[in-house]
Amino acid sequence: MQLNLQNENPQMTVEEFVKKSPAELDIKVLAGDLGLSKRKITSERIQKLGLALAGFAHYIHSGRIQIVGQSEIQYLNQLEPSKKKEVLKNLDLTQICCILITKSLEPPQEFKEFAQQNEIPILQTSLLSSGTITAVTSFLQEELAPVANLHGVLVAMYGIGVLILGKSGIGKSECALDLLTRGHRLIADDSVIIKKVGNRLMGESPELTYEHLEIRGLGILNIRELFGISSVGKRKRIILCIKLKKWDEFQEIERLGCELREEDFLGIKIPEVVLPVSPGRNISTLVETAVKVHLLREEGFDAAQLLIEKHSAMVSGE
Amino acid sequence: MPERKVKIVNQLGLHARAAAQLVKLASKFQSSITLKRADNSVVADAKSILSVLTLAAPKGTEIFVTVEGVDEEKALDAIEEIFQNGFGEL
Repeated sequence: MQLNLQNENPQMTVEEFVKKSPAELDIKVLAGDLGLSKRKITSERIQKLGLALAGFAHYIHSGRIQIVGQSEIQYLNQLEPSKKKEVLKNLDLTQICCILITKSLEPPQEFKEFAQQNEIPILQTSLLSSGTITAVTSFLQEELAPVANLHGVLVAMYGIGVLILGKSGIGKSECALDLLTRGHRLIADDSVIIKKVGNRLMGESPELTYEHLEIRGLGILNIRELFGISSVGKRKRIILCIKLKKWDEFQEIERLGCELREEDFLGIKIPEVVLPVSPGRNISTLVETAVKVHLLREEGFDAAQLLIEKHSAMVSGE
Repeated sequence: MPERKVKIVNQLGLHARAAAQLVKLASKFQSSITLKRADNSVVADAKSILSVLTLAAPKGTEIFVTVEGVDEEKALDAIEEIFQNGFGEL
């Protein structure tokens, strides 16, 4: 699907990282503060500096936080004083955005001095390496997520985010309203912000239109006021996409229900169901059923497939 | 109300995907189209997938196709043809 990306090359300065990072990381700047605003983090993936310190520095990726833990610090400590500077000197300093030392460990003085002179931020956290990596990755996945905006409605149904798409005027908002009266939750109407967080596709509402829905003839409605707090939600992982299409736009309709379709959003494939819309077809019942069918299929139950198997046994058995 | 006898010629018989193709084709016509097995008189509406599946017809089964409506001749020709070419599997 063609989307308008809102952030072409997501990145953040090390300074922003220090300010915004989650409290559990408790980041302190040990050295290289002059480099904080100059050096940029561009990848959600971290790297461990380990072998690079030992001389094998071919695979350092710029834009990744370099994690240094106990083994690296012990390695540095047992080096002769003159070598302690050299290990950093041997690295391509333009490739290193910052170094994050875990477990509140202290690097050798020479190492810090060299970093200070060369404006390489040395950060420190109290967390262990494993916890640091998890916290940093999930924080960066969120901060550096590709973000796009699309026209549609996002509803949370049976615990999953269901994105309803279709041309203007086909009845997406009316369908959402109907779903709300059945106890489902509105996440976003009309404009949905989608984010690729790791391998998940998250959807949320723009701040301005949160909890609002527009229905032709009724105008703008506040859903929380009308249906209560349980009828709205901030954000949901998108698991299924339902496309509403006018009946006459269909060339052919798949009758068995075996053809599984997918749509690509920001590089993530989402199962898709295309529903023909016409007067007399209750769209919200169809959407609700499509979601249940999807949930059953995820559990391994596929009604169409089972019936086909039963049928072919019958046909070939005769 | 024209009627014609057709025979299932493809190896797999009137299996699910063949049935789906038949239903897709039948749904394009306005006429009502009925299928009846020559051997046991099971009757099916050619526009309904579940109905067509109940025919459970293997290769060699003979079926009477009855069509009624404004485009009955065209419909009958088209239905006969899809049976004759074995649902594109020959």
